Amino acid sequence: MSDLFFLPAWPLPLQALPWYALLLLAAAIAGEALQRLLRLPRVLGWIVAGVVLGPHASGALGAQDLAGLRGVLEVAIGMVLFELGQRVDLQWLRRNPWLLAASLLECGLSFGAMFVLLLALDAPPLLAAVAAAIGVATAPAVILVVVRDLRAQGQVTERALLLTALNNIVAFLSVSMLLAWLAHEYAGGWRIALGHPLYLITGSLALAGALAGVTLALLQLLGRRDEAQFISAVALVVLAVWAAGALKLSVTLTLLGYGTLLRAIDRRRHFVSLDFGRVGRIFVMLLFAITAASLDLRLLPAGALAGATLVAARYLGKTLGIFAFARPSGMTLRKASLVSLGLMPMSGLAVVLVSQTAELYPKIGVSLATVVVSATVMLELLGPLVAHFALIKAGDAAEDAGR
Amino acid sequence: MESLEFKPSAPRTLGVELELQLVNTRDCDLTRAATDLLGLIAKAKHPGEIKPEITESMIEASTGIHAQHGTLRAELRELRSALLAAADRLNVGVAGGGAHPFQRWGERRIVDHPRFKHVSQLYGYLAKQFTVFGQHIHIGCPDGNDALYLLHSLARYVPHFIALSAASPYYQGLDTAFDSSRLNTVFAFPLSGRAPFVGSWDEFRGYFERMRRAGIVESMKDFYWDIRPKPEFGTIELRVCDTPLSVDTAAALAAYAQALSRWLLVERPHKLTEDVYLTYTYNRFQACRFGLDGEMVDPIAEQRSPIYADVRATLEALRVHARELAAEDGLAVIEAIARRGNDARWMREAYAGSDSLPDLVWRQVERFRKGQ
Repeated sequence: MSDLFFLPAWPLPLQALPWYALLLLAAAIAGEALQRLLRLPRVLGWIVAGVVLGPHASGALGAQDLAGLRGVLEVAIGMVLFELGQRVDLQWLRRNPWLLAASLLECGLSFGAMFVLLLALDAPPLLAAVAAAIGVATAPAVILVVVRDLRAQGQVTERALLLTALNNIVAFLSVSMLLAWLAHEYAGGWRIALGHPLYLITGSLALAGALAGVTLALLQLLGRRDEAQFISAVALVVLAVWAAGALKLSVTLTLLGYGTLLRAIDRRRHFVSLDFGRVGRIFVMLLFAITAASLDLRLLPAGALAGATLVAARYLGKTLGIFAFARPSGMTLRKASLVSLGLMPMSGLAVVLVSQTAELYPKIGVSLATVVVSATVMLELLGPLVAHFALIKAGDAAEDAGR
Repeated sequence: MESLEFKPSAPRTLGVELELQLVNTRDCDLTRAATDLLGLIAKAKHPGEIKPEITESMIEASTGIHAQHGTLRAELRELRSALLAAADRLNVGVAGGGAHPFQRWGERRIVDHPRFKHVSQLYGYLAKQFTVFGQHIHIGCPDGNDALYLLHSLARYVPHFIALSAASPYYQGLDTAFDSSRLNTVFAFPLSGRAPFVGSWDEFRGYFERMRRAGIVESMKDFYWDIRPKPEFGTIELRVCDTPLSVDTAAALAAYAQALSRWLLVERPHKLTEDVYLTYTYNRFQACRFGLDGEMVDPIAEQRSPIYADVRATLEALRVHARELAAEDGLAVIEAIARRGNDARWMREAYAGSDSLPDLVWRQVERFRKGQ
């Protein structure tokens, strides 16, 4: 033993590095750099940091480390979905039913376009349907982060958020039904095929309703104190994510429903404009970086062509759907085109869904992954950019934001 | 170039402009909606006119010319319905009130229009702070001399209009202790205040020409006076009112102005000297700060009285004229406000009940829709 025993061993033991902190730091720096030097949205920087540090690129973060961060990922997704749910005004759909029509058509057409395309690419019908259903959803985190960063307000923003919430619900419902069908084909009987989606839907909504009721009661007890509200909101969202997981319910539907129902029953506005603030920001940055890190770029060349066509088909379907009801819903075609650009971002959740599918049904998981992942990779980079500039073009962005 | 010819109009006809707040339905903050809303309204049939204002969070609704309170109120209600029909489709809330209780002025966006961009460039942050909401009442005059006589004799009653309409107790998230905080925003402009004391239209034209030659103003629009002549309409424009929480109150305020104008022009009860302005700013402050409980000093009689008492005394004097003008319904509303309190008081009570400014705004939205 030397006299300098108090000095650390050299080289420093790397395995003890707090990877999440490193990832966060890298994401923050990359985000600022992109924003200041190139005037691009910060979220792109977070994604790039994730990809670069991820196991498929530099390998600084191994698959093991990412798995360790899964909890963070889930809480982040929960926060995003809850906030999106809060921004959904069910009353608006009642006053302007054309929006619901536009949403259904947008989902239907984009699903149809992707489905037909995947069939043309020789994918088996069920596989094609699952992939297309996953693709219907717009990434809630992307649109929310872009809206936040630009402090965007206005019709394009509001409609993009509403349609995102709706297409996430539609996507979730169709995917769970298709998976049930798959289950039926592969192994189980009709009991699984019908019972599982039914359990997911009613269970998630019941949990969401219970959470909303408890939250409102708690808030009335706490009174309008920002800090207490904020802390209890974070805690409740974490609890909601845990409960949904533990009960094998859908996190998407539970958290979206939680936010939406809370807003709907909160008639005296106890819980207005909840903001997860800086804490939320950390979680969301990690969400982007971790999701990006798990993207396997090596799949890209194999699925590039199919992926690009899939992106185009999806966009076409969404645009047509929104254009069809633009006028009756009270929007100019110019703004309608911006709304459909705002819906471009594809959910990193798609990858999560794919991996879950892969776990459940390994036989189809891999080939499904190739196409969906390449499309997701493209949209992961393209989506935030497109949404960012669409909101600026719409005049929805705050004057000093995003510059 | 503006000729400043005073176009005669039918005496004591009325027109009203209301600046209204556009809020989102989530947290009730002001939102950017004017352009979209106006695009939608342009396609619908409605009376009057609905126009953009300086920031994307406000619009101005104006009526045509009316001889009577009843038809004015009917048109205002129709305008409201047209506005709400469009706003509902966009999920935008429309509210009265002189200022938004908690908006941050830095967040406002100037409407893309040459005049507004010019004002914004000239006045800097004042332009964005000018996101306040007023009611303007036009009163028709047969000629310029009568217009100026009416303008100066109405000056004594400016505190009435401020106190009766006051609806901006909260500003930037705080209780200002004022009933009308909105007017403090207007005072910051260099050309605010009152018109010069000149009695004939020719003299007034001379004054305007000098200001124009000096490069201080280009048109009458550059004056932000409490009452200003509007020669191209043949009216004087009373600009001190906060936008009330309901269109019926707006119509009643117009009826009060109309009856007052008839009384002042027909009976000419006051001898007009510049002395009317001796206590003007003091009274104005009292009205803004304390509303109907403020004390106003009559500069001629040198008497102090609470504003609500002076309003009641004036209503007595107007009784005959109100009957002639069929404005009794309107004056009954004014009488009720003098007795029960103004919108600022309603807002403070609503806030005390819920402790939430977003909730207060939401109640304002609901009240604008219901209409009393």
